[in-house]
Amino acid sequence: MEYPTFLLLSLAVTLLLVRRTYSLTLPRPEAKRRSPSEPCSFAVFLGSGGHTSEALALVAALDFSRYYPRTYIISEGDSLSAQKARDLEASKSKIAEFPDVRTDAYRLLETTGDVSQASAAAQYTLLTIPRARRVHQSLLATPPAALYSLASCIYHVTILPLMRTGRSTPLAEVLLLNGPGTCLTLCMAAYINRFFGLPSPRLIYVESFARVQSLSLSGKLLRPLVDRFLVQWPELRKLCPQAEYRGWLV
Amino acid sequence: MRVFVTVGSTQFDPLVAASISTPILHALRSRGYTNISVQCGNFKSVSDLVLPSGAETTNSVKDGVNVEAWRFKPTLQEEYELADLIISHAGSGTILDVLRMGKALIVVPNPTLLHNHQAELAEALAARGHLYASTIPDLPRVIESMDAGKLVPFPALDGSRFQAVLDEEMGYL
Repeated sequence: MEYPTFLLLSLAVTLLLVRRTYSLTLPRPEAKRRSPSEPCSFAVFLGSGGHTSEALALVAALDFSRYYPRTYIISEGDSLSAQKARDLEASKSKIAEFPDVRTDAYRLLETTGDVSQASAAAQYTLLTIPRARRVHQSLLATPPAALYSLASCIYHVTILPLMRTGRSTPLAEVLLLNGPGTCLTLCMAAYINRFFGLPSPRLIYVESFARVQSLSLSGKLLRPLVDRFLVQWPELRKLCPQAEYRGWLV
Repeated sequence: MRVFVTVGSTQFDPLVAASISTPILHALRSRGYTNISVQCGNFKSVSDLVLPSGAETTNSVKDGVNVEAWRFKPTLQEEYELADLIISHAGSGTILDVLRMGKALIVVPNPTLLHNHQAELAEALAARGHLYASTIPDLPRVIESMDAGKLVPFPALDGSRFQAVLDEEMGYL
């Protein structure tokens, strides 16, 4: 390749990258107006323990006939969060009257992990991703584990939706995050979609009810990245003026 | 009357040990409490009073109070319901569960936790009158002087707030 052509090509690529990167820093356009009857797909990351309890308290409040299909993203091995998600769905669903049917249908969904199939059958699915860092894991082992976790998030957030439908639907139209660790890798995967102009979930972060005077580490990291950032204490709102405060949410 | 002490899934031996110490049992007795149930979780230190020789549950009478101690149960719901007063570590999940049941609550933040945001939560809720926050040395005094009737009822979960945020963000409003 001749030198001027190469130079022009590199310049074009650089400009494109800069433009795309710059576009990431702009506020996202508002969501299109929806009619009240139009459904909206929804995903939530259940970060185990108190994170899961708070996330499910938020989800429990939602109108399930509007927000479906629902995807519960859990960390590998977090069977307690999986069970709590199933319990919530069962308590909100008529299927709870037929426990045997429910169990079989859900076992099928969980083994296939196919979101489209899940939405057709039960309107929710559990999605398992590897942990970014295991408890008691040595710090040296963290980078590979985090990369593996990120790869899995990218697979589910970026690649799978592309393969499934061409390029029309993201994993979900909105993704609720409330910490810890893995929710950052999910957020990064969503940003890869945005960088390439692919549909990306809108990102909503809700800081824990337990955080009164200081943001959690997840909160600090995700605050500049998410579309909505909510805190549950006015004290924290003062500290972090970009945050929204709507009273206690859980 | 019955008091329930819980440390959740944490290890908080000083609270467990204090809850069956004479000063606290005396304070409880003076307020009419005759039964204490202690969920000690990952309690480590060896004590003749609590969980002797590896037993999972123990019952005894000390300072005129029936003491029952055990480590874990699948759910604490029943214990919350039976209790007139709950003394707890400052975990946010426990706090929400207990306050939503309308029970009197004293929380004791674990002082050994680093970056103790639990203490901030306890103090913020105490300042609004929803619960009492105490340290371990202060516990007898707080028990003796507390007036559960003056606690401010904690509001029920208002799910419409988050639904409104989401509806707004997704173009429904």
